[in-house]
Amino acid sequence: MHFKVRAAAKEDCKDISRMIMELAVYENMADQVKTSHEDLERDGFSPNPFYECLIAEVPDEHKTKDGYTVVGYALYFYTYSTWKGRSVYMEDLYVMPDFRGKGIGTGLMAKVAQVGVEKQCVRLQLSVLEWNKPSLDFYIAKGAEDLTAKEGWHFLRFHGQTLDTLAKEAPKD
Amino acid sequence: MSNFILRKAEPKDVSDILRLIKELAKFEKMEEQVILTEKELLEDGFGDHPFYHCVVAEVPEDKQSSDGYTVVGFAMYYFTYDPWIGKLLYLEDFYVMKEFRGYGIGSDILKVLSETAVKTRCSSMHFIVAEWNKSSIEFYKRRGASDLSDEEGWRLYAIDKDDLLKISAKKR
Repeated sequence: MHFKVRAAAKEDCKDISRMIMELAVYENMADQVKTSHEDLERDGFSPNPFYECLIAEVPDEHKTKDGYTVVGYALYFYTYSTWKGRSVYMEDLYVMPDFRGKGIGTGLMAKVAQVGVEKQCVRLQLSVLEWNKPSLDFYIAKGAEDLTAKEGWHFLRFHGQTLDTLAKEAPKD
Repeated sequence: MSNFILRKAEPKDVSDILRLIKELAKFEKMEEQVILTEKELLEDGFGDHPFYHCVVAEVPEDKQSSDGYTVVGFAMYYFTYDPWIGKLLYLEDFYVMKEFRGYGIGSDILKVLSETAVKTRCSSMHFIVAEWNKSSIEFYKRRGASDLSDEEGWRLYAIDKDDLLKISAKKR
């Protein structure tokens, strides 16, 4: 099946929002999605974007039963390692279930890798849930290394109330 | 010693920042992995498109370190994005020189960063810690941090430059 990978435009945010929700529904976490397509437009298409996005598009004759031609996306941003410098972090990679097995995921990821190399990034990072075997296999086949296993890295966060509490205690200038 | 200030890093601070980065890497037993240079730090933090932001802790001259330094701590952060909740503040590095610990410098840095996160509409502040680094994990958990790797099973993966080149070169 022929498909095209291109940089997302502001008008694609409705499709990106749709696919973000599809993935959340599949993971039984739809109530956790707080971003709207307007948020995505503001955060990705202003002079100082917080992310970049690539989308995968199929020709009209292969559109989904609901009439969509945008069938996958990869959302990424640039990070910085104090050891190695510029890196690219791939936050989301998603292809609609009916369009899997056709190289679209690989195509999206290849384009993220290309953008990263062009921007002089020394590596690409991502995170995967330990039970997600198909995704783990997909990334390991492309050379991904488990740094949690190798170096013991854990993800931590300050969220919601704990973040607000810390913020209120900040010293005044 | 309550006599310290926290301020935004300036271009003149890059050599102190690199010094502190190397000290932290040494503590994490990874000193030889630091290949970043002052020139790159300058370009990447203070050029047209900053890849990071930095806060430094400074003491007065009469309180300088045994080696004569007045910049004694730093935190490097940048903004990331979660498609479900939007902007996040990501804490990349956070370090206070050993002889200046226990005075609340680290605590204040964390509070200033939390305030920055809230002011810039971030839902969360994320970071990674090595699981053997018990004192750091304690420091964060005491202040309410949760471990997403333990709680939800997230694992960090990386693909290095050589493999990135291979992936990007393959034709469909």
